[in-house]
Amino acid sequence: MRAREPDADGYAERDGVKLYWEQFGDGSTTIAMLPTWSFIPSRYWKCQVPYLARRHRVVTFDGRGSGSSSRPAGWASYTDAEFAHDALDVLDATNTDRAVLAGMSCGARWGIQLAAEHPDRVLGLVALGPAVPLACMLPERRKYAFDAPLDATEGWAKYNALYWNRAYPDFVDFFAARMVTEPHSTKQIDDIVGWGLEIDPVTLVDTDRGEACGTREPFRETCERVRCPVLVIHGDEDAVRSHEQGIALAEATGGEFVTIAGGGHTLPLRHPVVVNHLIARFVDRVAR
Amino acid sequence: LRAREPDTEGYAERDGVKLHWELFGAGDTTVVLLPTWSIVPSRVWKAQVPYLARHFRVVTFDGRGCGGSDRPEATAAYSDAQYTADIVAVLDATETADAVLVGFSRGTVWGVKTAAESPERVRGLICIGANAVLAGKQPHRVEYAFDDRLDGTSGWQKYNRHYWLEGGYNDFVGFFARQVCTESHSTKQIDDFVDWGLDVEPATLVATNGGAAAADPEHLRDLLVRIRAPVLVVHGDEDAISPGSTGAALAAATGGELVMIAGGGHLLPTRHPVVVNHLIKHFVDRVAQ
Repeated sequence: MRAREPDADGYAERDGVKLYWEQFGDGSTTIAMLPTWSFIPSRYWKCQVPYLARRHRVVTFDGRGSGSSSRPAGWASYTDAEFAHDALDVLDATNTDRAVLAGMSCGARWGIQLAAEHPDRVLGLVALGPAVPLACMLPERRKYAFDAPLDATEGWAKYNALYWNRAYPDFVDFFAARMVTEPHSTKQIDDIVGWGLEIDPVTLVDTDRGEACGTREPFRETCERVRCPVLVIHGDEDAVRSHEQGIALAEATGGEFVTIAGGGHTLPLRHPVVVNHLIARFVDRVAR
Repeated sequence: LRAREPDTEGYAERDGVKLHWELFGAGDTTVVLLPTWSIVPSRVWKAQVPYLARHFRVVTFDGRGCGGSDRPEATAAYSDAQYTADIVAVLDATETADAVLVGFSRGTVWGVKTAAESPERVRGLICIGANAVLAGKQPHRVEYAFDDRLDGTSGWQKYNRHYWLEGGYNDFVGFFARQVCTESHSTKQIDDFVDWGLDVEPATLVATNGGAAAADPEHLRDLLVRIRAPVLVVHGDEDAISPGSTGAALAAATGGELVMIAGGGHLLPTRHPVVVNHLIKHFVDRVAQ
């Protein structure tokens, strides 16, 4: 059961990879809610869609590797360039000339790329808990290699390709708890665990290797090419992507920065009212 | 920090016992959110007050033994008759001629008594998670006597005067909070309940239980048939404190409407606030016409 069913749905397709999109509501302004790491599908926007679709046209899609989209094999299908291109294809498939983009974590990074490369398609960008290579990773995440065998299996040592292949559900529990660190979050954590278990760990390994290959252009230079308004929202207790990354993204884009005091990483699920109002006000401002 | 601060507050006083009341909003119709067992103060209505006060004049008060009200020592101070007289005293103190009463759990008994004994003050009565004394307790609750010295402290054995007074009170409150709120994803409601419970001294809570234990179920059932005001009964069908059959029996005895909350436990006001708020709103709109 969903609070709001889509008014239209369909697939965009490129190189044999099908991307499942949904469209909700109507209005002169479209908000494109970008996917995030394929660990979770577009349902992570479940608290935003019903609210925003009352006044705007809202488009979501499952990132490749998640939900009802294709799950191609091999890391080369999961680079930042592929995900950014997917967003463009979904704008085309839904006949969306221009949109306000909203992205969380990795999705914010793809939104920046789309805004830099196709300024005519992007009215503005809301970046939530952005995962961007502008400031340091959390120190506890830098200790362990992803693709090497580890002796340790505690904490972020679980974020390891070999560990996923032998104990994926344990990693899912760990990571879901890092995504939502606020008290009273059992529902959000249960949702994330359920989504995380929908994905084959082999696919998830590919997504991480794809992200690691980066882009040709240094990300800071990509940010400097962005001309549209940017709003960055970051929890100051984000346990997945450091608060400093959000600050750095706002600085690099000249964007506005909002800190959610006590907020963790998954702001759309855990702080829906604040996030909804911030997005709605931003859309009202940039769509005038 | 509260979502809605009171517009006025004060004390009603009976026999030297002061009762702290708060008033929110304005309007032709007053809704009184009754106290319940003194293990929790009027804050148990925190999810109702801000919504209802947008539409009605809302009065709450802390039951004797908790919150900002006095905490007399004697068991006799905590009888159903005392709490019922407190309701009338707060209606007087807030210059409320009549009101829709909303009772939760033990408070439903006092709402029933007020509606039967002071019908001119009660325009309607809502009973949420009605107290088992009105129809019968959960089987697992009648196994252990409150006043007996038991040879164990597991489960409902914790509901015991000796355990409360001899160091087990905090453990009891944690256990009880999990019984009143059995739904998934209730950590906030449980934490709130525990905090409220720990604000009450074990000896006070023992006294409140002595008073209620003296309640006469036959007398209460006689009162039910005397109620002339419209009645709405709301009950969770997975209530672990007071079985769903209690709500059904209460609705049948009063000719009231019955709404069962599927999957609902006992602590409906904080765990199912939207449903509860809308039910109260629609009921008040109907009876105030």
